[in-house]
Amino acid sequence: MGSFVQYTVQGLAAGGFYALAALGLAVIFGVLGVVNFSHGACYMLGAVGAAVLLDTSGLGFWSALLIVPVVMFFFGVLMERLLVQWLLRLDPLYNFLLTFGLTLLLVDLVKRRYGVSGLPYQLPAGLDGNVTIGSLSLSAYQIFACLFSLAVCVVVWAVLTKTRVGMIVRAATENSERTRALGINVTRWVTPVFGFGIALAGLAGVLAAPFRAITADMGSNFVIILFAVVVIGGLGSILGAVVGGFLVGLVEAYGQAYAPSFAQVVIFVLMAVVVLVRPSGLFGREEVA
Amino acid sequence: MSDQMTARVDVDLSAGPVISRRSPLRWVLFVLGWVVALALPWFVYPPVAMDIAAWGLFAMSVDLLLGFTGLLSFGHAAFWGSSAYVTGLVAINTGWPFPLAVLAGMVFAMVIAVPIGYLSVRRTGIYFAMVTLAFAQMIYFVANQWRDLTGGENGLQGIPRNFFGIDAIETDAFYFYYVGLGLVLLGVFVAWRVVHSPFGRVLVAIRDNPARVRALGYNVERYKIVAFVISAGLAGLAGGVFAISHGFASLQELNWTTSGKVVLITVLGGIGTLWGGPVGAAIVVSLEDWLASSGFEGTGIILGAIFVVIVLLFRHGVWGTGRQFVSRMQRRRRQNARS
Amino acid sequence: MRTSTRRRRLFSAVAAAAIGSLALAACSGGSGGPQSGGSSKLTNDKIVFGLLNDQSGVYKDLSGPNSAVAIQMAIDDYKAKYGDSAVAKSIEIVQADHQNKADVANSKAQEMYDRQNADLILDVPNSAAALAVANQAKAKKKLYINVGAGTTALTGAQCNKYTFHWAYDTAMLAKGTAGTIVGGGGKSWNIVYPDYAFGQDMNKSFTAAVTAAGGSVGQSIASPFPSDNFVTFITKAGDGNPQVVGTMHAGGDLINFVKQFNQSPLKGQVQLAVGLMFITDIHSLGVDQFSGTQFTDAWYWNFDEQNKKWADRFKEKTSTRPSFAHAANYSAAMNYLEAVQASGTDDADTIVKALEGKKINDFFLRNGEVRAADHNVVHDAYLAKVKTKDQVKEDWDYEEIVKTVPAAEAYAQPDGSCKLS
Repeated sequence: MGSFVQYTVQGLAAGGFYALAALGLAVIFGVLGVVNFSHGACYMLGAVGAAVLLDTSGLGFWSALLIVPVVMFFFGVLMERLLVQWLLRLDPLYNFLLTFGLTLLLVDLVKRRYGVSGLPYQLPAGLDGNVTIGSLSLSAYQIFACLFSLAVCVVVWAVLTKTRVGMIVRAATENSERTRALGINVTRWVTPVFGFGIALAGLAGVLAAPFRAITADMGSNFVIILFAVVVIGGLGSILGAVVGGFLVGLVEAYGQAYAPSFAQVVIFVLMAVVVLVRPSGLFGREEVA
Repeated sequence: MSDQMTARVDVDLSAGPVISRRSPLRWVLFVLGWVVALALPWFVYPPVAMDIAAWGLFAMSVDLLLGFTGLLSFGHAAFWGSSAYVTGLVAINTGWPFPLAVLAGMVFAMVIAVPIGYLSVRRTGIYFAMVTLAFAQMIYFVANQWRDLTGGENGLQGIPRNFFGIDAIETDAFYFYYVGLGLVLLGVFVAWRVVHSPFGRVLVAIRDNPARVRALGYNVERYKIVAFVISAGLAGLAGGVFAISHGFASLQELNWTTSGKVVLITVLGGIGTLWGGPVGAAIVVSLEDWLASSGFEGTGIILGAIFVVIVLLFRHGVWGTGRQFVSRMQRRRRQNARS
Repeated sequence: MRTSTRRRRLFSAVAAAAIGSLALAACSGGSGGPQSGGSSKLTNDKIVFGLLNDQSGVYKDLSGPNSAVAIQMAIDDYKAKYGDSAVAKSIEIVQADHQNKADVANSKAQEMYDRQNADLILDVPNSAAALAVANQAKAKKKLYINVGAGTTALTGAQCNKYTFHWAYDTAMLAKGTAGTIVGGGGKSWNIVYPDYAFGQDMNKSFTAAVTAAGGSVGQSIASPFPSDNFVTFITKAGDGNPQVVGTMHAGGDLINFVKQFNQSPLKGQVQLAVGLMFITDIHSLGVDQFSGTQFTDAWYWNFDEQNKKWADRFKEKTSTRPSFAHAANYSAAMNYLEAVQASGTDDADTIVKALEGKKINDFFLRNGEVRAADHNVVHDAYLAKVKTKDQVKEDWDYEEIVKTVPAAEAYAQPDGSCKLS
């Protein structure tokens, strides 16, 4: 049953999911210059949010897909207004450390409130089957997750390239001073963009809930992989995050299929190679030394 | 965004020590430091005291890179941890007195730091951090896979503490502390000398404006590599002492969370202060020890909250903020004396 | 002139403070100072239990702080039984969280033995931590009864005189589950295991047990540890069309694996065997996802009246049902106290002799015996099957005991690698 094509498809399915999760990280770095270490914790909050929503109000997966990211958006806004904004003018190191501390805090709070054994969450009805095409077989949910992630990435890309808001955001990313000089109030967009990035992390978390264990620690190792994705794709590049996500998904799938003992380290080797050879990543802008 | 790529660490450092040399406060602190270091195992459970010393040196090694050279390494556990394993393996297999085993660990850390440093210093800022993280993960992976040597998940157990057959030091953690402290202080001395030397001045200049330093004719990359290797050696020295103290080396010592913890300690103590390292270590290690035994279920909440508050309000850390306060007091007194 | 006087005053004030605090600490003795060695004879006129386990991580619910409640129940029962003629009049419990880290466990065990005068350390889940504590027990010559970890090394290559393995080990899990499933027709297996010491141990035990029962293992697939994406490995496990896929994962990895397995085409085609499962895993994933899965459990609270009575007492104090770990900690503590009562002392060597070879029958150890050869405590094990949702009558009522595996069948014979000293 295992074949190269099968593994490729599985890698792409997982990759779409990584792409979505990395997208928020890339957006936040691109516009604010913040390396958001708490992205993994926000992903975890999204998954926990979906489980809690189901538990308390009976609202299932489809409602969670809408409600949880909105809640996470406001959470992100709160984070930015209360904490992140004060350090924006300093070296990115400080916000990196701030979000690192915030991660410790959030993970432990969740552990205290919801315990450590994990929360249950079922597959949404209608997506719990398998799709077989010839000799390929994939779970329906995986296909959905991949397509949904791709759709979101396309929408975000469209917004950024085709709308005025998107243009402002991109201009601010390239050169905030000049954009400001053109009379555009860049500062006004910083908070909503941050919130949006966090909302994307939460959305990825909701997507993960049906097929990953929902524990307080689920984001901790995940965020390290996300950094690898974003570095490979190019810090600050949307396209980079998407391509990087799919690439990492594929590398992981092939690694697990053909060289399982090396599967985990291949991603980091790739990351090191990219940073050394082409530090701006596959699609990032050139670094100014 | 381009100006955000370069790491310019926001620390107010003058070229020399902020507290004037002739000030008695400096001597007071010097004496106090010795008193605390020597008296620590009386106040605190001796193995924990040794941990404080080891993490303190580890944090100083990170500060050397971060505060004085402007490079944030997010993979320093690679040197602490690999030295711990090498120290353990040498101690187990040769029966040499443990300072020699620690020396072996330290040398190993410096040896692997050469290629890692050579490759990593081509990048700065967040990229440097990511590369060091990637290399540290690779080393973690190797240690995990090579379980015949390292014991894998079980860790390297039963590291002996040989010291010329002197029973008191070999079995009693209290007396061992003083020998371990001696080793740690050697590292502290090296760090202090590096910072207060022409070499150290060049590092600070590189931190602030690498282009200018290059224009002055210095080979910036080579200085960075040397700083990196020295820092790795100090981290290795600390890791070796840690391994002998615990009699044990585990994968935790190579984990990225350990790299994160030492950065946390460094920031808490104060970036660019050097002495902030031991202060931060004392706080974090004691706090963790106390929380673990108290049954309180929220170590992460406390540590995370402290960290967030420090980064937001006391960016210069405990030592840095204290130093700022003292210099402000001195300035005011000088103004009063003049008026 | 004035300023230099002030400076001098400042200097002397700080120096005085330093010396003063130093003297104070030295006088008070503090928690430091050189340690004295020496053995215990009802040391300090009391018994101190050291409970060392995971109180904040993945194994918190399995054992955690509630094990202290279980041990206290043992203490209360002991005192009630012997009243005034009890040898141990003052009994304390000290606890520490090893956070699932072997180095923390190592330090905490040392501290418990040295600083807190623990006579016995209990529990210690996580195989790496368990082995580290065994080394400490050997060095300090004090007792250690492991309940939470599964590694056979505790009674194998890493065994020692002061270490006992009370509740289960990987060989017992393998013999029970593999034997039953192969017997039921599941002869061809593929095994997926996490690539670290515990996983490799389980893979070895299960492969041996399957083969011994007449089955065969086609592939043994190692997955990186830890991991949360097993889709490719599940696909690989389907190669060769086995009848059974065995997963040797534990905790969060197991939940991820089962969730992803249930979404894969293998579900329904292939039987899933779980190497190590705790009742807390079922609780966290939900009965539905595990329905029908068979596994070996060391003890189940709803097995019979005797267990249920104890579980009711436990529930009164903790509002939840006990896992095997809680019951085993009670049993270990109780039997230790009985041994102290019988020998009149808490001297470690005496207690070791009292326990070796002892046959025990309490609600946890059915037909139990403390093997003298390797200090493995054998007892009846249970083949459990996870209920379907409609069969569950109350929270934690998840298991249906299909078969009792008698002690002699459940455990492997000592393989000679243990040299007790």
